[in-house]
Amino acid sequence: MSSLDLSNLELGSEEAEYSSVGFHYIHRAQAGRIVAVAEAFREAGYHLEMLTAEDRRTDLEAMRLVYTFSRLDQLDRHMVTVDLAPEIPGAQAPSLAGIYPAANWYEREVFDMYGIRFDGHPDLRRILLPDDVEFHALLKDFGRIEDAPDEGAANK
Amino acid sequence: MNPHPAPALERAHDDETYYLNMGPQHPSMHGVLRLLLRLRGELILECDPVIGYAHRAHEKMAENRSWIQFLPNTSRIDYLSGMIYNLGYCQAVEKMASIEVPVRAQAIRVIVSELNRIQSHLLWFGTFLLDIGGITPFLYCFDDREKILSILERVTGSRLTYSYGRFGGVSQDIDDVFIEQTRSFLTRMRKQAPMYHQLVHENVIFRKRCEGVGVISREVAHDYGITGPTLRAIGVDYDVRRAEPYSGYEQYDFEIPTRTGGDCLARFEVRIEEMEQSCRIIEQALDALPDGPVKPAKFIKKLKPPAGEFYFAVESARGHFGMHMVSDGGDVPSKIKLRTPSFSLLSSMSEVLEGTMVADTIAILGSVDVVLPEIDR
Amino acid sequence: MPRTLLDIFGNPFIATGVGIGAVMTVLSINVLFCIWFERKVSAWIQRRLGPMEVGPQGTLQTVADMVKLLGKQLLTPAGIDKPLYHLAPLIIFAPVVASASLLPFSKSVALSDLNIGLILVFMFGGFAVVGIFMAGWGSNNKYALLGAMRSVAQNISYEVPLLLSALSVVLMVGAQGGGQIEIGDEVIQLNGLNLSHITLAQTSGLWFIVFQPIAAVIFFIAILAETNRAPFDLPEAESELIAGFHTEYSGMRFGLFFFGEYSNMFIGAMLATVLFLGGWDGPLLPGPVWFFFKSYLLIFVMMWVRWTFPRLRFDQLMAFCWAVLTPLAIVNILVTAFALKVVNG
Repeated sequence: MSSLDLSNLELGSEEAEYSSVGFHYIHRAQAGRIVAVAEAFREAGYHLEMLTAEDRRTDLEAMRLVYTFSRLDQLDRHMVTVDLAPEIPGAQAPSLAGIYPAANWYEREVFDMYGIRFDGHPDLRRILLPDDVEFHALLKDFGRIEDAPDEGAANK
Repeated sequence: MNPHPAPALERAHDDETYYLNMGPQHPSMHGVLRLLLRLRGELILECDPVIGYAHRAHEKMAENRSWIQFLPNTSRIDYLSGMIYNLGYCQAVEKMASIEVPVRAQAIRVIVSELNRIQSHLLWFGTFLLDIGGITPFLYCFDDREKILSILERVTGSRLTYSYGRFGGVSQDIDDVFIEQTRSFLTRMRKQAPMYHQLVHENVIFRKRCEGVGVISREVAHDYGITGPTLRAIGVDYDVRRAEPYSGYEQYDFEIPTRTGGDCLARFEVRIEEMEQSCRIIEQALDALPDGPVKPAKFIKKLKPPAGEFYFAVESARGHFGMHMVSDGGDVPSKIKLRTPSFSLLSSMSEVLEGTMVADTIAILGSVDVVLPEIDR
Repeated sequence: MPRTLLDIFGNPFIATGVGIGAVMTVLSINVLFCIWFERKVSAWIQRRLGPMEVGPQGTLQTVADMVKLLGKQLLTPAGIDKPLYHLAPLIIFAPVVASASLLPFSKSVALSDLNIGLILVFMFGGFAVVGIFMAGWGSNNKYALLGAMRSVAQNISYEVPLLLSALSVVLMVGAQGGGQIEIGDEVIQLNGLNLSHITLAQTSGLWFIVFQPIAAVIFFIAILAETNRAPFDLPEAESELIAGFHTEYSGMRFGLFFFGEYSNMFIGAMLATVLFLGGWDGPLLPGPVWFFFKSYLLIFVMMWVRWTFPRLRFDQLMAFCWAVLTPLAIVNILVTAFALKVVNG
């Protein structure tokens, strides 16, 4: 196990204030580099704590993937974000299932909820929603309760 | 989408293997899990956990209601450690919005969280023994668990799905009766613990069913991000309460029980010891209970955390429960991702269960203690 | 020697009719009692009350349950093997009645008195496994099939130590008092396979449990396994196989399986009483009272075991049978035979 070396991966890395955001570093990676990033983390003894996506098509014009890598022996949490094309279907990223088996289910969930496809995933099918539905539930344009009033009561 | 297309089923006929759908309606499938098993006799060749039967779209709901309105949802993610999840969500939002929590409220949070943890472990104890065929311990531990539920019901108003947390504190202060009841429960629990041990731990059949069964290696745990008692049973002393203390856990003196076996027996022992450690924490918190308010003077009706991405974790009874939150600066969350420990655990099961027997499957699933609602969310 | 029904009635048809009636009555009452008793024993072990509502101390609870079972719709799943599915409960149920009629519960009266009683009881006991397998196979359900497969393997395996441990008793009977016993002015040539003779051999001396403690324990364990009781209840392990071989049976068909299980328990306990606990032998009280008292004592122990132990895994169960019980039973027989030879010359 070597120390974490992300130097030649061209990440837009920033240090973060742990006490207010809960992680130590945030990296912005290119979709093409995420496999190399994950390998670097795995090499350094980090585990994939979480993988999810965000529908940022309205403000950033992108579908964003969020990876969290963390260590068990010391407190050091890295958040890696990957911005993808804003088209659903169409957004694609390489799968990490070959590096972190944990990514297998997380990626299935992201595919299920956001419709992002993962190249090289061994078994990309829906996981929480029924097999035969045609929507991706966590996309912002699905099932949103429109025109929420300002006064804190979105479901009035 | 049929997960296993017809040729696989054809092959099953040829080579004397067959498929068995265990669940979603099955006496010991911990809710609504379905295991698609390919078997030869009783030997498991392949295992594919199928989930989603209890999907209630908590994450979608979060995006459609304000930060405050999401509070009752949190305790329904995992109905067995509802308190921990509820308070975990509170402290995450507090950290986002920089809300101070009074020290008394923090101590109360620790007390009720640990009570919740004991309650969850007691239920696990009963159901695990039930899974491997011992019916009687179930009744014993439910007796004790009932005491906790009554204590918590008195102060929170509910027995399982508490909505006790408030941003900046808790909804009700605890009183002398609560303290007295909790103390007498601790005394009772300490008296019961040796009985649980004698009743089960030395039983030759129990040991035969647990020793060396369902060994999860360090590599598998690392690959799948397994946390909680299952990880500690492998010998990794990772506990969120110690690794990144919240709610004042750093003040309390407690041990993180570990074992090295990684089998069902190790998991059993770790959880039994954890209950004792929880008792210790509660005792210390009760002894040093500070005075003061338990919630902000003015109820927070409107909450707009700063825009950004956040990740906060607590230690639930099953392990690392993380919340990845995205705020756009408004009063409705842009996204809340719930990273639940059971999800990681269950995703490792297709690897762990391969090559075991049907009876072991039940024992292993029982010993890792997955709660399906928190997997399906 | 006990008088049989045939001796009393003279006519074989009347004797058979009366016998079947008597056995059915006794077995039905036994099942009603045992289920209530089991509930009370489990409640007692688990620090609760058990049934309390129907009748005093809930004694009529099983009657109420039986009425419920009788009133339930008989669901027949699709794709079953009809003859097997419908016959299975009967195949399990009928041998129970037959073997119950063989057991000598009293010194003076017996339903039948056969020279091969012991063999017949084991033979009828062996039928149960056929019924279980028919149920499992005919149900067209994988859980039922798994349960049936477990049951067949388990029952056939445990039959070996069961027979071997019984055999050491047979040897003992033959050697008792030089193989003869005097009752009044009648001299009876003892036959080790006749259940009344086994009891008689014990009335004159000590019970066989004193001479054969190992065989008694093996026999009891094997009975537990043969009757699919915990910790050997793998064929119907509810946390693994839902209900095992009777998963697909509802209403009174399920009731018949239940009836068969508790009656098998009863017969197992009675047989153990005859073989090791001296049957009707006992001071003061009449023979049948002693006989049933001992049987229910054994049934109580069975229940005690069930509510105390977890369940074995299948391979452990088989290993326990073939690697522990069977060799032990064989050694026990050899030692018995050798000792008898030495003692009797």
